[in-house]
Amino acid sequence: MAFADIFGYLQRFRMMPSSMTDPVHATTDDSTLVRVRGLTTVLNGKTIFDALDMDIPRGKVTAIMGPSGTGKTTLLKHITGQMRGDAGEILVNGENVATLSRERLFALREGIGYLFQNSALLTDYDVFENVAFPLRQHTKLPEVLIRNLVLMKLQAVGLRGAAGLMPSELSGGMARRVALARAIVFDPMLILYDEPFVGLDPVALNQVLKLIRTLNRTLGITSVLVAHEIEAIKQVADHVFLIANGKVVAQGDPKTIAADGSPWTRQFFGGEADGPVPFQYPAGDLGQALGFSGAVK
Amino acid sequence: MSQPRSSYAVGTGLFIVLGFAALAYLATQTTSIANVHQGASYTVEAHFANIGQLKDRAPVKIAGVRVGQVESIGLASGQDAADVKLSIDKRYDKIPLDSVASIYTSGLLGDQYIGIEYGHSKKVVADGGTLALTKPAQQLEAMLGKFFGAGGVADNLGGTYTVSARFSNVGTLSVGAPVKMAGVPIGSVQAVQVDPVKLDAKVTMAIDKRYNQIPDDSAAAVFTSGLIGTQYVAIQPGGSPDVLKNGSQLILTQSAMQLEDLIGKFLVNGSSSGSSKSSNTPSGKH
Amino acid sequence: MNPRKRTGGNVVIQSLEQIGNGGLFLLTLLAAIPRSLRYFRETIRQLWFVGAMSLTIIMVCGLFVGMVLMLQLYHVLSIFGSTSASGMVVALAVYRELGPVVTALLFAGRAGTAITAEIGLMRATDQIDAMELMAVDPIAYVATPRFLAGLIAMPLLTCVFCAMAIFGAHLVGVTWLGIDNGTFWSNMTAVVNLRTDIVNGVLLKSLAFGLVVSLIAVYQGFATPPTSEGVAYATTRTVVASSIAILALDFVLTAFLM
Repeated sequence: MAFADIFGYLQRFRMMPSSMTDPVHATTDDSTLVRVRGLTTVLNGKTIFDALDMDIPRGKVTAIMGPSGTGKTTLLKHITGQMRGDAGEILVNGENVATLSRERLFALREGIGYLFQNSALLTDYDVFENVAFPLRQHTKLPEVLIRNLVLMKLQAVGLRGAAGLMPSELSGGMARRVALARAIVFDPMLILYDEPFVGLDPVALNQVLKLIRTLNRTLGITSVLVAHEIEAIKQVADHVFLIANGKVVAQGDPKTIAADGSPWTRQFFGGEADGPVPFQYPAGDLGQALGFSGAVK
Repeated sequence: MSQPRSSYAVGTGLFIVLGFAALAYLATQTTSIANVHQGASYTVEAHFANIGQLKDRAPVKIAGVRVGQVESIGLASGQDAADVKLSIDKRYDKIPLDSVASIYTSGLLGDQYIGIEYGHSKKVVADGGTLALTKPAQQLEAMLGKFFGAGGVADNLGGTYTVSARFSNVGTLSVGAPVKMAGVPIGSVQAVQVDPVKLDAKVTMAIDKRYNQIPDDSAAAVFTSGLIGTQYVAIQPGGSPDVLKNGSQLILTQSAMQLEDLIGKFLVNGSSSGSSKSSNTPSGKH
Repeated sequence: MNPRKRTGGNVVIQSLEQIGNGGLFLLTLLAAIPRSLRYFRETIRQLWFVGAMSLTIIMVCGLFVGMVLMLQLYHVLSIFGSTSASGMVVALAVYRELGPVVTALLFAGRAGTAITAEIGLMRATDQIDAMELMAVDPIAYVATPRFLAGLIAMPLLTCVFCAMAIFGAHLVGVTWLGIDNGTFWSNMTAVVNLRTDIVNGVLLKSLAFGLVVSLIAVYQGFATPPTSEGVAYATTRTVVASSIAILALDFVLTAFLM
């Protein structure tokens, strides 16, 4: 059965309680799903975001790249409302995440799928129950329907046969696909992928890559990826943001950005060890640290 | 899938049931609730001269079998006696009218209960009836005396003869305490009195007639069985050819040791002679 | 929510801080009870892990505590010729002190550490965050059911422990050492009081211990830094803190209840 068939069938069973997943009810008519304006966050005295602006287009695959420690995962947490910035605002589907009540925030989160770097499957439950978890928590569907839905989502990620396995019995790639099935079980409007390719062998990587693309193309789910794998991003992303020092330093579609000659993109896409991203962690003068006095350089 | 969920529920249910069963067991089988009488019963009265430590809800037993409990304890109107109402199970309604109700103690330190020994009457005691024959609670001292055999020997076996001895201090020696020779009970203490003139204690002992060859220069001493046991009179035979007769007095005595004296003796050398002198010489010290 | 934010300072300040955070956490847990009612099944499931799975150790330990207590008492009381009172003494000692305290210590070691380790691991592997993102409140879904399960399980386990101890005492005293069966029970029933011994001793104490142990276990699970060393450290701390809290609380409760 082709993916398209399954998802076509699935769409008749859409049962999201909140209106947000329903494209008809989308409040903003513009093409931006997530709008970040002037986001400033200071964590432990370190400025993570410095008046960050970003527009994530609806229905596209957007990749966020940047050196380690620039707060890409932190940005995802801002979008889901787990963290709040010190200034600025984030609008998801027209709603300001930071000011939402807990109930409204939870309602919003039902429309967001999140794929954790380490999958975060519930170790108590088998694969089936993991995927069924959001359904059981938020709906009172009959068991038969839950079963059908879960098996179809598992089929979509190619793991229907693994329904009875426990998370500890899964390989990293399989666990990530199960987590993906769980993330899409409610047919969200937005999926956030946190490092979806890390630690995967080329086969598993391509499987995940294919899933991201398929989910985006067939269901029109807006996807946001935080990743480093340039080749993979070139294949899948429609739009790339390059973040460094708390600001967007470059953006555009992958090919233009790669061709752009700025020092940031040169270093990042060219893989140079030194450049705008310093090789040295900020430190005092080496000579002084080693005990030489004066002008040793 | 939904299988493990229901098995958890069943297992958890079993656990909860087990927990409550344990609680019910503790509450009903091991507490005083177990003594609360249930079911039909009838009430019988009994008057006792002394009820000792008898308490409400104390068991009533026949031949060691629990048949009921004490319902209430009061003073009988106009009498120097306790009026005890017994609530007895309807199943045991054939108790003869001339049965004897006694107050016993379960074990040495246990609580007291009422034991009923059947009489021979054809009439049975009815609801609201009275058991006329009763035995009051025994004082521990008297019981102990009996327990060590002296009383039994003296009472039951063909007569005793009486001798007396004077002690400067009898400690906690009480009536009924055994009199022993070579550790064997041969009699019991009958009376402990203070001599108003000499200001010492005169102990009268009843000794079994079988033991009539005790030399008259034997010594009597008040000893304690073990560290915290009861006290008794020990007789150490002398060498005289004459023997004790009814009414004789033992001249050589050793008084009860006070713990303080004992420790003093232990610590200070040579004080033993002084203390024995003081015990042999009745003085007004005490 | 970051209960382990350090303000620095000495051990006393830190302990006070921990107690304060624990108290606030307790309020959070209690406030989440209405919300966790819809996760009733989860509470049942935790009751299985926390309570039913601890039954074996509780029963075996209860049996042996009763047996050894009877053996010891028999030898001491035989000096005074009152071995028949040993059943009663076992019952009083077990109901008033040993039952609740030993059960609570075993419970802290068996179930408390399991709760801490499980929650700590759930945090370390982002499962708690994942729940947040699936719009499931982790306090209502993870913390409160475990807390409630501990609260419910402790009195039940203590009752089982006490019953097994009495059984063990009966086994040794009556079957082996030859104390009269009737005397054994009548002495016990004459002295053991339902209100002061069973309700105040067994039930109230165990409920208080259950509250403290469950609270400490869940709190340590949530407060632990989400790393594997953090989990190991938090598990140890659950046992240490629980043991101290149980014994200290036992003294306070005994002083007030008896």
